[in-house]
Amino acid sequence: MMLEYDPGMIAIYSPTMIPIYLCGIVAIYAVIRVVMEKNTLRKLVFLSVMNFAITGLVVLTIPDIMALFAGLAYFIGSNLEANAIASTYVGGEYSK
Amino acid sequence: MNEFYILVVSLIIIIGVIYVYISRSPFDKLIGLAIMLGGAIPFIALNGYLDVALLVAVIMPLTTIFILQATGRKTDDS
Amino acid sequence: MTGLVLNIIIAALVSWIIFITIDIIFKLPERGGVSGADGIGHAIAADGGSLNGGFMMGNIVCSPDASAGVLLAACGVFVAGIPGGLIAAVVVYVGNRICNDPGYAGFTGAVWATFIISWFGLIGITPDVFIAGMVIAILTIQGISHRYASLLLNRLWRIRA
Repeated sequence: MMLEYDPGMIAIYSPTMIPIYLCGIVAIYAVIRVVMEKNTLRKLVFLSVMNFAITGLVVLTIPDIMALFAGLAYFIGSNLEANAIASTYVGGEYSK
Repeated sequence: MNEFYILVVSLIIIIGVIYVYISRSPFDKLIGLAIMLGGAIPFIALNGYLDVALLVAVIMPLTTIFILQATGRKTDDS
Repeated sequence: MTGLVLNIIIAALVSWIIFITIDIIFKLPERGGVSGADGIGHAIAADGGSLNGGFMMGNIVCSPDASAGVLLAACGVFVAGIPGGLIAAVVVYVGNRICNDPGYAGFTGAVWATFIISWFGLIGITPDVFIAGMVIAILTIQGISHRYASLLLNRLWRIRA
């Protein structure tokens, strides 16, 4: 599958790259906070910040309609995963 | 731009893998797996395999749910 | 350069106001919708935060809310214009039902954000700036300090209740 959009063609120091840099830095920061946190349920709150940043990174890099669906599927799937982990950790049955 | 992207995403994957290795609780190991796959999906999407990225993003939570249903309830407190 | 940074700050403020307003109008801080959100609320309250703010943060984690709606609508408008935003709204609605959450906060947030973001596109603030702004807005709620963020959300919830 060949895309007509080549992500390597954008200059590194172009001002239009600032949103991508922000998303990447926020993702790294959220991962470090997840590793540093002790409580399992509060790890999930930081993990959601990482999901937001990764979704933004995927869609910002490749402006294609298929990338939108990949980002949507990733976000909904990670929300479902966090829901399942939190429900099982609390102890209620996961009714799905 | 590619250098920054590859640096950030590979750093996320490496932190996730090390965290899976060093954490004790099984729930923390699942969170580490989520971090690792969250770093892997932008790599797949960067090369243009967007359908593969969509499929991985759908399969990832389903495997987690099957693992949680197989192992059952919380067994340790950490 | 400076104009882009200013645009990002404006976009962060606008998306913060959108998702906090819609989440509070739809009574998310009242209770944890699913059991996972309930547990996260109690975990944040045990750290010294507020219980109602913790419920709202747990609801943001456990099912797609207005925050997810604003982000995904910005992604849709960035890729495909207003139809992309409406596709994102439909997918957020389906995701709400998959996550076992009977609510319309995500759908309403996505539809509102689609039109607001396309209106801001007319005056020069492009949708990719809104994606970065939404990431910063969610970072201020969930990423900095859970205690003070939940106390702030509790203060805003008191006005509604």
